[in-house]
Amino acid sequence: MSIGFVGIQPPKKNANVMNDKIVSPSCLPDMNNLKKVAIIGLPNTGKTQIFNNLTGEYNIVANYPGTTIEMKRTVTRIEDQYYQIIDTPGLHCLYIHSEEEMAVRDMILSERPDIIVQCIDSSQYKQSFLLTAELLELETPMVLVLNAIDETARKGIWIDSVELERMLGIPVVESIALRGLGKEELKDAISRARQSTLDVKYGFQIESAINELTSALPFDLDFKHKIASLYLLNDPFVEKFLQKKYDAEKVLHVRTVFNKIRRQIKGNIRQGINDKRSQWVNNVTAAVVKKNRVVYKGFSHHFTNATRHPILGIPIFLFFMAIVYLSVVYVSGAIDKFITFAAVKPVTGFINSWSLPVFWNDLLIGPHGILTLGLFNAIGTVLPILSVFFFIFGCFEDSGYITNFTVLSKRIFEKIGIPGNAITSLVLGFGCKTMATLSTRQLTIYKEKFIAVFLIAFAIPCSAQLSISMAILARVGLSAFLIVLGVLIISEMGAGLILNKIIKGKSESSYIQVIPQMRFPSMRAVFIKTYYRIVSFLKEALPIFILSAAGLFIFDKVGLLNMTKQALTPMVVGWMGLPKDIIDVFLLALARREAAAGLILKMVDSGALNYIQSIVAVVVTTISFPCVANIIAIGKEMGWKTAVAMTTLIFAASFLLVGALNWILVLVVH
Amino acid sequence: MGVTQKVIHDEYIEQLWYMKEQGEISIDFLKSAMPESFDEKVIEELFNFGLIDLSQNALIIKLTESGEAQARQLIRAHRLAERLIADVLGGGGDDLEKIACEFEHTVSGELVNSICTLLGHPKECPHGMPIPEGECCKLALKTELSLIVPLADLKLGESARIAYINCRNDQQIHKLEGLCIRPGVLVKLHQNYPTYVIECEGASIALDKEVIANICVWKNSMPAVEGANSKISDKKNNVKGLSKFFHLFKK
Repeated sequence: MSIGFVGIQPPKKNANVMNDKIVSPSCLPDMNNLKKVAIIGLPNTGKTQIFNNLTGEYNIVANYPGTTIEMKRTVTRIEDQYYQIIDTPGLHCLYIHSEEEMAVRDMILSERPDIIVQCIDSSQYKQSFLLTAELLELETPMVLVLNAIDETARKGIWIDSVELERMLGIPVVESIALRGLGKEELKDAISRARQSTLDVKYGFQIESAINELTSALPFDLDFKHKIASLYLLNDPFVEKFLQKKYDAEKVLHVRTVFNKIRRQIKGNIRQGINDKRSQWVNNVTAAVVKKNRVVYKGFSHHFTNATRHPILGIPIFLFFMAIVYLSVVYVSGAIDKFITFAAVKPVTGFINSWSLPVFWNDLLIGPHGILTLGLFNAIGTVLPILSVFFFIFGCFEDSGYITNFTVLSKRIFEKIGIPGNAITSLVLGFGCKTMATLSTRQLTIYKEKFIAVFLIAFAIPCSAQLSISMAILARVGLSAFLIVLGVLIISEMGAGLILNKIIKGKSESSYIQVIPQMRFPSMRAVFIKTYYRIVSFLKEALPIFILSAAGLFIFDKVGLLNMTKQALTPMVVGWMGLPKDIIDVFLLALARREAAAGLILKMVDSGALNYIQSIVAVVVTTISFPCVANIIAIGKEMGWKTAVAMTTLIFAASFLLVGALNWILVLVVH
Repeated sequence: MGVTQKVIHDEYIEQLWYMKEQGEISIDFLKSAMPESFDEKVIEELFNFGLIDLSQNALIIKLTESGEAQARQLIRAHRLAERLIADVLGGGGDDLEKIACEFEHTVSGELVNSICTLLGHPKECPHGMPIPEGECCKLALKTELSLIVPLADLKLGESARIAYINCRNDQQIHKLEGLCIRPGVLVKLHQNYPTYVIECEGASIALDKEVIANICVWKNSMPAVEGANSKISDKKNNVKGLSKFFHLFKK
């Protein structure tokens, strides 16, 4: 599953999703005869784009490492053969650093893909070839894809793919996946995939150690050679992998043999293995890579450096934020007006002209009508704002800015207990909190993960909230926007500081992050991405908008709504200083945040909320409690107890915070 | 005590240090480790000097505190000598072991500290074994003459070749290796605030202060030359000269 924006997409139970474009029901492939093709590569090398190109499906792609969090599978046909294509999260090497990477390795080791397609970012060919060297040890047919070959050419690097193919003995194809180039060549290469003839030799001492350990491994185990070498490297997860498959006695036997071998070997095995691998890569690159001596680095290189410069980076950040603010407020405002003028008004007038009985008229276009609060709210108010925001956020994702921003903001985040590795997750929270929560999987230290998950759930508005809140506050005034921004930043930092103090545990993870070079986003790709996000919003949210409006309508008609309002009055009116009708908003928020925010927007427009009330209302909908999908994601990552505790804590904190905010504002303004 | 006798004692003490590194304490292990030269008499002498402890009917053998201090100095000198020869002079293989073995018995502690400082306080020998820390490492001494400096000390925009990486954390070193951050590779320091950013083999990589502190580079690296360790061939010739230099020490 890739980063989606709107809510959570439940993981598909049936992994073998048929691609109906290619497979017609009459000729279903024989599932047992299905060849598995795993697309593997370093983070941010374009694996998902290749997957999309191969299968004709669409999954979100972006220019930062870690876009794909979970594996994704689809069946597709190439010539006469059916293949199951597997898209995987990025992998640095088969020696594992995090749970996220472990999933990929476990898949390879236990499912035994028939073909491995390694996706290579050609501008970082050496790093990729190191992974190639490891993958060759799996003795599985392979294909290499030299992706983004256009950027490589611009950097004055030329890779002789024909010579590489000859040298390794496996098909090598060039590709510009973002533009769909190299797709047919890849399909052809997959049907020609072969085992390489040029693997890495580790020298007598290490090879004989590997062989000795290999013979100690259970004999029905796959990839014995590779597993033995991982064992020798002291990989922390490989023993766990064995424990899952074999009884304790067998695992203990392997450990005893390993200890014996370890004692016999002089010197450092890790260094020996890495030296040989590096030598292998140097030999390959020396034969196939040519470089120009004079290369113009270009605007994007300098601009990328500027975005993370401690001084230049700040105005660039503010400039980008201003673009988001202005376009969300003005562009979507214009679309909103147009839709109101062109669709909402005529339809309302038309329905009014029927002179239906009051009940039916109210059901359709009354204050809680399924059209007013459901359809028009979704399409007229929320959708324009969301689409503009999706488009701009998509541009940022594809440009590669997000990772550069993590470098710029690292110090500040570290103060509140967020390590560099977690900043990307936090920034992704502005897209979708659920996905951001799932992406904390890459964090290995409990304390850091806990703080990150909490802060994502707490005061970070997701794309839907953020964009609609911006629109609301823009109507009240820029000062309101700045106040809310300040309040959210202070509460987020305060929460971080407190948690950092309270939770015990060491936080000494090492921050090593490859930064993508920024590029001008391809408009075509961003439009496609925005389109898919809008479609998934409409599919998921529109029915809920209409149902929740109908629910509220019935609630109102039977009188329950009034009773609830009476009961909550002391809390809402007394403590938060909000009008009674805001309870409609809270009830809608239970179902769908955007629906609630859309209603606030309407209330601001009609003058039902004043300056202070608008600010309080926006803050309360932003931090009151995480949405259901987010709570599920927290439960998945941290356990259900923690999820419930976190939700309760956030609710209590927000209740106190919002009341306090109300009273402070009242004191200051009057 | 004659020079030869001291050398023999040193060999035993060193062997006991290796055993300590592997968690071995039985005298049988010591015997099997030095099959040709093992001599009960030497053990007795070492015991009389208070350098070793024997227990359980002389089946268990351990260094005493003073024995350990002596072994520490020896191992330190030995492994630093290996670094010096491998890194600065480009020697390898048999040269490495032979010269280092002569070196360890003759040099003074001060000279060892000077070499350590010159090399930027390495923490591992070329074989990847730990070099015991000296006083100079704790103070992180630097001199104008240091050939190897921490990567973080470079000026912005400066390039240098990695000499070695001081890192005992397996996960971290594998991650660095995977990104081609390894000895012999040319890197460029791009940025040092709010965090460090280096360029390595076409990739920009952001690193923590804690991570970059482990990476040591040649201070005056030659400009970009394709292929790692290109300096080494020039250095080979120096090894013989150095060997003579150590012989002078002996006298």
